[in-house]
Amino acid sequence: MIKTKRLVLTLMLSFAILPLWVVNLTAQSDRAKQVGMHLKCMCKGCDMSAGGCSHPGGAFSGPCPTAKAMMKDVDEHIAKGETDEQIIQAFVNQYGAIVYVEPPKHGFGLVAWIMPFFYTACGLAVVVFFIGKWRKEPKPAAVAHNLSDGTKISLEAMERAREQARRETED
Amino acid sequence: MDVFGSFSLLLAFVCAVYAFVAGIVAIKTRHPLLIKSARQAGIATCALIFVGTFSLIYLLFTDNFSVAYVVSHSNRDLSSFYKVAALWAGQEGSLLFWSFLLSIYVISVLIAYRNKNGELMPYVGVILAGVQIFFLTLNNFVESPFKALGAMQANGTIDLLTRQDGNGLNPLLQYPEMVIHPPNLYSGYTGFTIPFAFALAALLARYPGEKWIHLTRKWTMIAWCFQSVGILLGAHWAYAVLGWGGYWGWDPVENASLLPWLTGTAFLHSVMMQEKRGMMKVWNVWLVFSTFLLCIMGTFLTRSGVVSSVHAFANSQIGPWFVSFMALILVVCTVAYVKNRDYLASENQLDSIVSRESSFLFNNLLFLVACIAVLSGTLFPVFSEALSGSRISVGAPFFNKVMIPIGLAILFLTGVGPLLAWRKTSQESLKRNFGWPLVISLAVGASFWMVGYRHLYSDLSFVLCAFVAWTIFLEFWRGGKVLSARTGMGMVMSMHELAMRNTRRYGGYLVHFGMVLIFIGLAGAAFNKDVQKSMNLGDSLVIGPYKLVLQSGDTKAEANYTAQRMILEVLKNDKQIMMLYPEKRNFQANQESGTMVSIYSSLKEDLYVVYAGQDPDTNLPVIHAYLNPLVKWVWLGGVIVVFGTLLALMPNRRVALALQATPETAPTASAVRQGLQPSIPLREGHD
Repeated sequence: MIKTKRLVLTLMLSFAILPLWVVNLTAQSDRAKQVGMHLKCMCKGCDMSAGGCSHPGGAFSGPCPTAKAMMKDVDEHIAKGETDEQIIQAFVNQYGAIVYVEPPKHGFGLVAWIMPFFYTACGLAVVVFFIGKWRKEPKPAAVAHNLSDGTKISLEAMERAREQARRETED
Repeated sequence: MDVFGSFSLLLAFVCAVYAFVAGIVAIKTRHPLLIKSARQAGIATCALIFVGTFSLIYLLFTDNFSVAYVVSHSNRDLSSFYKVAALWAGQEGSLLFWSFLLSIYVISVLIAYRNKNGELMPYVGVILAGVQIFFLTLNNFVESPFKALGAMQANGTIDLLTRQDGNGLNPLLQYPEMVIHPPNLYSGYTGFTIPFAFALAALLARYPGEKWIHLTRKWTMIAWCFQSVGILLGAHWAYAVLGWGGYWGWDPVENASLLPWLTGTAFLHSVMMQEKRGMMKVWNVWLVFSTFLLCIMGTFLTRSGVVSSVHAFANSQIGPWFVSFMALILVVCTVAYVKNRDYLASENQLDSIVSRESSFLFNNLLFLVACIAVLSGTLFPVFSEALSGSRISVGAPFFNKVMIPIGLAILFLTGVGPLLAWRKTSQESLKRNFGWPLVISLAVGASFWMVGYRHLYSDLSFVLCAFVAWTIFLEFWRGGKVLSARTGMGMVMSMHELAMRNTRRYGGYLVHFGMVLIFIGLAGAAFNKDVQKSMNLGDSLVIGPYKLVLQSGDTKAEANYTAQRMILEVLKNDKQIMMLYPEKRNFQANQESGTMVSIYSSLKEDLYVVYAGQDPDTNLPVIHAYLNPLVKWVWLGGVIVVFGTLLALMPNRRVALALQATPETAPTASAVRQGLQPSIPLREGHD
């Protein structure tokens, strides 16, 4: 019993010190790279962001020439004192909406952001509806199922169908 | 051999059509000989597909460069190991491979159930033959892998050619995992055809609900396990080969593999509602239909070129075939459902909102929302172009923002769901089951807060991982304690015995624990960092606690490629811990490049080093080093998930005779946990 208590305490302690173990590992990156991460590399060969381009399969596994040129442009925009939004807009003006790594939160791009909330809400409504319906429904013993042609299927018929399935199948 | 292979596939097509037509007639006439004939035609179809597939493998192994597919995807110097991978490297081969794997499942089902389920199997056979007809149509008439290499002449005739050597295999595929990742993933895709066929067959045969669930549980779990392994191996391949420091980029093809996995996982949970309570029958049928449709859609996305992806095959003409097939399946499923939906009526009602039933409802809601979020995000560029005239990209940041909260909510339910009782959970039971897990997880959260680290999603993930892990531990612990008291076995042996007596339930817990480890690994990504530097010999690069010193570089020539290798000494706190050898490979056959990442991996972090090549401006070697914490937990979690699934597939061990001496009034662990009297009627099966 003492052994098991020790085991429990060790496990609890391990969970408690987990954060101390990983906490010194924070990431840092410069502003140009941050902005570049919001811009798609327009080489049409890697589908990565300009700031994170490593161009898999390329002769050089780092930023491809297109990404490098884009990052150089980002540096120039930063040097002019432009905000992140202004820099991204400048690229959109040059390449179109395809340059966004993620959809913009305005115009048609907003639809992409709204959709997850929309179908989560719809799904929740459906779940709440069924929970309410199932809680209000009388005990199934009193229920006769409606057939698609408007007639009723009795519980006996249902049980016969079940028995037939049982008879005709083996696990 | 190419003619032989081609003829085999043509004959397979004929047999599949016969199996389909004869099966339909057999269902109508109930003629036993016709039923047998249709089944044997189904078996013959599979055998002929095997012959066709082995013919292509033979052509690849014998370097037959008169066949266009062999020229495009193999070469003489390609090792035998990778010549197998060439089978699925191209469009035509991978479609044949789809048919091949499907045939393994089909022949297994047709043989395993040849003397069983006499009324249901003709329906199953017809549905499976229908799916095979579609893929054999592609194999024979649209994307044949046996096309001869030829050149069109001015007079319209085609001269057959034979090349001395082939173009070789895509360098990105020349990695050991690419020999096992696609077969696993495809086995997942094709495997879901079996539960689909049984579900549709049961609906057409007007069987009320639960029977097909019992029949297909193992098939579904096998397919799900293959899909999980395939996804994880793909992630590991992307991590170890692509050299970008990550393992999941929300690429459309990655997403395509995740979609059926999400609905399949939802299905594996919701079937318990049907087995235990006779509820959600309609939902389960449609979940299986959707999972199969998403498997077809995944294949379509990969091959049609409708979305751009680094994995996808180039634009091809097979898109309309897939769209038509999906539409046909949807129509058949809808008609079958509308005509026979009365046999899927729910038999029970919900007693309480705080119950296992409602946790399954929310679990399914979250999986479905996750699936739709990934699907709509993947297809959004296509929709945006069609509706607004401008193609809007949806990349990894979008998916991360949408999917992380959904994933955390699913993780939360992973901890809560199994501890709620069926029907209704008492307050006392809630306190007993959630008290300690809540304390532990809050302690983890508080530790993060106190040390000043406040990354919302990572913190939440660690807190929830602690919560779920503790609830799983408590489940094993309490059950083990009851068994230990009864049998006198030690705790570890009791917990092992417990798992073996209810493999499905405790296998499920192990799968959940594997998912916890995966989430810990995913949460570690918030701490990633990287440094890139052009280095002279003797130069060093510092990342985290590591110092990398470039010692030298060399070149090695292999049969199929030449590799430039950098030799780096790795020091930690000024002590040498190891040498790393990242490579840049150049493949002679197609003049393409590939990277071979070198990784120093520990449970705490991965030091991931890429030799990017020579800096085009300075000609100096460029080293890109990444420090990725906790990545190993993802792979470790994957292994646990597989073990858990295998455990759940095992039959339950029979209860030992010694237990018969136990007083019958002793409460079971499950009853204690549920806070219920044992007399509450639930159906056969395991939770």
